[in-house]
Amino acid sequence: MNNLEQTALEIQELALELGAEETAVSISHSISTELTQREGILEKTQQSNSLGVGIELLVDGKFSGHSASDVRLESLKPFLQRAIDATRFLEPDPHRVLPGLQEMGCANGNTEANDDSWETQTPESRRALLNNVEASSQKASSHLDVRSITHHVWDSKVQSHVCASNGYSQGWQRTSFGMGGEITLVDNDRLPEAYDYRSARHLSDLPTVDELSAELVKRGESRINSSGISSGKMPILLRNFAARKIIGTFLSPLQGTAIYEKRSCMLDKVGQQVAATNLTIVDNPLIPRASGSRPYTGDGFETKEQTIVENGVLNMHLLNLYNARRLNRPPTMAGASNICVAPSELSPMDLIRDLPQCIVIEGFLGGNANPITGDFSYGITGRYFEHGEFVQGVSEMNISGNILELLHSFENTANDVWIFSQYRTPSMLFNNVQCSGV
Amino acid sequence: MSIPKPTGPSGTYFESMGITPELCRQILQTALSNGGDDCELYFQHSASNSIQLTDGKVSQASTSLDLGMGVRVIQGDQVGYSYSEDLTPSALLNAARIASQIAQAGQSLTVQSPTIHSVPNYHPVQTGWDSVNMQTRVQLLRKWEKKAFAQHNSVKRVDVFLRDGASVIMIVRADGKMVEDWRPSTMGYIQCTVESNGKTESGSYNVAARGGLEYFSEERQVRLVTEAVNRALFQLEAVSPPAGEYPVVLAAGPSAILLHEAIGHGLEADFNRKNISIFSSKLNQQIANEHVTIVDDATIEGSRGALNIDDEGNETERTVLVENGVLRSYLHDSISAKHFGVAPTGSGRRQSFRHTPIPRMRATIMENGPHTHDEIVASVTKGIYCAAFSNGQVNIGGGDFAFYVKQGYLIENGKLTQPIKDVNVIGNGPDSLSKMDMVGNDMRVDEGGWTCGKDGQGVPVSQGMPTVRVSSLTVGGMG
Repeated sequence: MNNLEQTALEIQELALELGAEETAVSISHSISTELTQREGILEKTQQSNSLGVGIELLVDGKFSGHSASDVRLESLKPFLQRAIDATRFLEPDPHRVLPGLQEMGCANGNTEANDDSWETQTPESRRALLNNVEASSQKASSHLDVRSITHHVWDSKVQSHVCASNGYSQGWQRTSFGMGGEITLVDNDRLPEAYDYRSARHLSDLPTVDELSAELVKRGESRINSSGISSGKMPILLRNFAARKIIGTFLSPLQGTAIYEKRSCMLDKVGQQVAATNLTIVDNPLIPRASGSRPYTGDGFETKEQTIVENGVLNMHLLNLYNARRLNRPPTMAGASNICVAPSELSPMDLIRDLPQCIVIEGFLGGNANPITGDFSYGITGRYFEHGEFVQGVSEMNISGNILELLHSFENTANDVWIFSQYRTPSMLFNNVQCSGV
Repeated sequence: MSIPKPTGPSGTYFESMGITPELCRQILQTALSNGGDDCELYFQHSASNSIQLTDGKVSQASTSLDLGMGVRVIQGDQVGYSYSEDLTPSALLNAARIASQIAQAGQSLTVQSPTIHSVPNYHPVQTGWDSVNMQTRVQLLRKWEKKAFAQHNSVKRVDVFLRDGASVIMIVRADGKMVEDWRPSTMGYIQCTVESNGKTESGSYNVAARGGLEYFSEERQVRLVTEAVNRALFQLEAVSPPAGEYPVVLAAGPSAILLHEAIGHGLEADFNRKNISIFSSKLNQQIANEHVTIVDDATIEGSRGALNIDDEGNETERTVLVENGVLRSYLHDSISAKHFGVAPTGSGRRQSFRHTPIPRMRATIMENGPHTHDEIVASVTKGIYCAAFSNGQVNIGGGDFAFYVKQGYLIENGKLTQPIKDVNVIGNGPDSLSKMDMVGNDMRVDEGGWTCGKDGQGVPVSQGMPTVRVSSLTVGGMG
């Protein structure tokens, strides 16, 4: 038994002693380091060693959730006592119960979430990486009028453990490494900026510093002389790193709370065509070394690959145990892990080469979506192309529409899956999207 | 669990946890052992509670308890930071050693013995949440739910949320300044779902402040419920506006999200110190119409953005940012103030002891101008009237900003006509300032629970403005 498990069990025992009928205790310990550098000067170093606990209580059939950063039992005891006493004033919720132990589990496969090389990181090695990032970005941007480039590297290790009063007890650990930068250029009276951040479970999965710098500078360059173009309906290509915004807009009304509360445009859409027939979206928590991989869900169920949309047909709502019980349906997933969209064999340029006009979206500015209607409106930045030729940078523009209509207008993916986030999407082409500018 | 306002002598709250002035002096000395220009310790003990009514039942509650200390060493513009949730001397001294690594063999500052300084009180609370029992909270939620259902027969679902919190913070600086502060907060939120003619929509409203139970006056409770119901009903009738560039009239109050995004962030001095804001090097230049005066005010009693002392221990104030169209000041923390050779404006803020302070807005206000609301609306032949908002964003250097309109109207021939909803409006900060050509005389500080995000930190803010006309912005509608 490790220290975290021991502490979690002690907290659980305390909660039960104080009057809770059932408990679930999750505890995590993280160590993280972050360095920021600009113009050769180390601007900021931050290191933390942090412990936190989350406690779910069931008292007389009533539920409450609590968190604390001070896990000493002498501090937690009065805190828990007050929490349990207060819980008694709530009304019972029959759907708030722990699952049976036999239903709970943990995936056997190794998702390789932990990189042993994290243990060998030193202040010197981190600083060396940061210096390399800066040297590379300076070289890559030497042809531009640069106002500032800020560079970051960071890493962390997190160990977590969850135990429940029904005997469930599981833990896992993962590392994370990252690097990135923000560039500000001079463009007459404006100072356009761009950023690029990458993170990975393993240090060796990060791109080279030259790859990072080239993309950062390219994004910055595209902001020079950018402006809005004439309003109209036209194709858009969502770059791989930007596609998560639209996929997230689609997933939001699929969440169990929205379904139960009937605040969703996807209420009656399971089994129906909600997207073009060539769009398939999968949640895969078992991809080795991927950012969103995990062995068990927030409900304590073993994780497994699930297809959310298959050939444009919606397979499921995203129901955690609580919402599933409220809806009297089986649970599907408690939170997404790695949301994957299959790539094609075409490059992004292959997708737009023959289009008379197309906006390549590289970022979003503000905007929101209404999960009940599916209507969305987002500010965008990017580049405008005609017949595959770059025409100008795009800013001060919006795209608007309905998420279902947008997904039906999906044309194709490119071959460039983004692997630096839990949204593993390639660039995605959509047709006939309302773009508003001048 | 709620943290009451400390009743003991100021500066003694953390002594019961073993944090003595002598220990603070030792931590500061350790943090400055490699040199450094300045150093401070930030202790925080906070608790928050929330309860929620859903499905007709008050069946969800949560509490959060947080305790820790952050230590910052400053050398020039460089910062070394570490924090600890463990308040034992060994853990605190270890955090100090980590933070000290930013400095390299510089001249060591002499640490002065901590001396408590008093702070003003812009958080007048009559009935602290520590004295409000669970039954009273439940009754409030029940009352709001009942009123919402009674308001209109199209209301089919009501979700109600009540939150309160309080922090005690103590800042101890190397120069010996020590301050202690108590920061209460509360928020009430209602979301209503309505159905009519086969259509479903929802609307929400929230009110928030640094206040106690008395904040929820009868008048405010009625407004909270009525606004939530009306906003939901409004959505049933509203449509997406046409896309393109239009004159935009911003309603008094919440429209100050435009100030916050288009101007406020660009005036935070860390961006200007690095020369990456579109407002860099524009001090004392005309950047807006002469009717435009903008302040950032930490002293509005009870407002969500009010601060007795900032998170570096500097006194707060009402900072004039733009005076009759002329840029007068940035928002400074200690680092930027030193860089520019001015006094801090009390704008150094942080989310918690886990974060370093940076320049932030508090309550950003545009003052009254000469026009009436009706004059402004009547002046527009074809445009958009924006009344309620959900979120916004800005690109600091380019100056491009956006805000999302949840509720508004078309303006046709000087009159408000078709209700509109769910549209992103986008513009450029300096360009929009120059296009603010009418400023109303009906300034209102919005009562909503705005939270500003920057560098991964969220802090509570307030905002307010009168009705304003911007002659052209890009509206992300349809067609």
